[in-house]
Amino acid sequence: MDMSSIEFDIIGPAFLAGLLVLSTHVPLGREVLRRGIIFIDLAIAQIAGLGVIAAYGMGWDVDGWQVQVIAASSAVGGALFLYWLEHHFHESLEALIGVIFILAASTGILLLANNPHGGEHLRELLTGQILWVDIHHLIPVIVLYTLLLMLWFGLRSKPGSLMFYIIFALAVTASVQLVGVYLVFSSLIIPALATQNIRPQARALALAYLVGAVAYALGLIVSSMYDLPSGAIIVWALVVSALFLKLLYRSRMFFAVNR
Amino acid sequence: MKTIYTRVLLVLTLFTATPALAVLNVLTCEPEWAALTQELAGDLVDVSSATSGAQDPHHVQARPSLLSKARKADLLICTGAELEVGWLPLLQHKTGNPKIQDGAEGYFMASDEVSMLGIPVVLDRSQGDVHAMGNPHIQTDPNNITDVAIALNARLQLIDPDNAEVYQQRYEDFSQRWKKAIKGWNQQAEKLRGKTIVVHHESWVYMNDWLGLKEVATLEPKPGIPPTADHLSDLLQKMKQKPADAIIYAAYQSSRSAHWLAEETGIKVVELPFTVGGIKGVDSLFELYDETIKRLVEAMQ
Repeated sequence: MDMSSIEFDIIGPAFLAGLLVLSTHVPLGREVLRRGIIFIDLAIAQIAGLGVIAAYGMGWDVDGWQVQVIAASSAVGGALFLYWLEHHFHESLEALIGVIFILAASTGILLLANNPHGGEHLRELLTGQILWVDIHHLIPVIVLYTLLLMLWFGLRSKPGSLMFYIIFALAVTASVQLVGVYLVFSSLIIPALATQNIRPQARALALAYLVGAVAYALGLIVSSMYDLPSGAIIVWALVVSALFLKLLYRSRMFFAVNR
Repeated sequence: MKTIYTRVLLVLTLFTATPALAVLNVLTCEPEWAALTQELAGDLVDVSSATSGAQDPHHVQARPSLLSKARKADLLICTGAELEVGWLPLLQHKTGNPKIQDGAEGYFMASDEVSMLGIPVVLDRSQGDVHAMGNPHIQTDPNNITDVAIALNARLQLIDPDNAEVYQQRYEDFSQRWKKAIKGWNQQAEKLRGKTIVVHHESWVYMNDWLGLKEVATLEPKPGIPPTADHLSDLLQKMKQKPADAIIYAAYQSSRSAHWLAEETGIKVVELPFTVGGIKGVDSLFELYDETIKRLVEAMQ
């Protein structure tokens, strides 16, 4: 163990990116869990990537912001399709989302058979690495997420189904590129799962945020001390801090302190 | 009392002397360049490699230590020719270390120093995974190491002029041993000339050029994309009519397709280290080619 190896200017931007991802993914994750559509993030991310590959397949020479526009519109398109599915095939929605994920992934391979350059973009879209995050990358995401959060929490009581799907698609398209699919999935599901049975809702939400933030901090510090790939360690930290919260709650220590 | 004194002194000198010895911090993208730097600079550098011999140099998992090493680096040595295009620019940008930015004295691309093979005549996306600057896997021919060593020696002297003499001495020593070693390898590999091989994908053009091996087919024409049924049946037919002498793959690559073809045709499979550390026991540049030639000769007597 080597505390001196922690360089805060290296893990600082990564931690900021983590907090940013949590800001939208914690509330969205609670909704995902409530609806029982766990694999929606994988499907949406894959569809966003597919859009980019398709653009290349059609011979568009896209780069930079154009890639983002295509990825985001594909994701929103996919989300609208899922919204339609929810209304018509509600009982098998989760299974259908799984099928769409695997279909999008396979279509990607088929399109790539003639176009390996799209493959690089697909990889970039799906395997963001949290340590590579640069402060400049975060600014557009901060703007986007502020808008999304205002929509999510700002609207009267609860955003409707359609709003949820659109906000979700945009949030995931941005986060997957920052931190990669593994961290997006775990940031959505694990804090939400840890606080699922906690009432009132406001306390559950606050604790979910806390679980997430503690985990990102812990994960980055451990990753620095033992020089391990940060993304994978944060996934573990999320599970550990979620279990810790569960344990605290079960032993009622938490209540005792709180009252 | 006296012994305590000497002990304290000894500890003090150990602590102060050891770090002071390493003058330059060197970060390399691939282990072969770390090995070469070690040969040319010895204790004058503190060198580490971003990827190990068991990893695909196209991709890298970001670890905190990599960023911190890139930040401290006085010299960055990579293959270049777009091999590290997926992560190196990010690393340079992210650390902001002026010494290792493109064009700086501490930015050394080995592929600039050798004559590249496999430069496409027409740049066209339909050709698949095109490397516009040529095939980047230059370390499969020891003659390329000779060229890179000349340039790297000059660069080390430029960055660290105080130790120029030491670098020159070490270079001359290495150069002599290296020439002798190449002579030996050439002799051993004489019988390989004209033999035919099937490769995983185009990782071996420099080795083939050096040893006079003839590449007759590729298992995976496009890296990362599974071969089509058509391609495999073509390959199988070709190999049954006129079998190649060996199937070659790099230790870091998956051996599945190579073994599949071997089982179908009875052609021998050879796993090659590809770089320093690719196979256990291959820890220096000398051992890299020793082992490569040994394995090739064994398979194709």
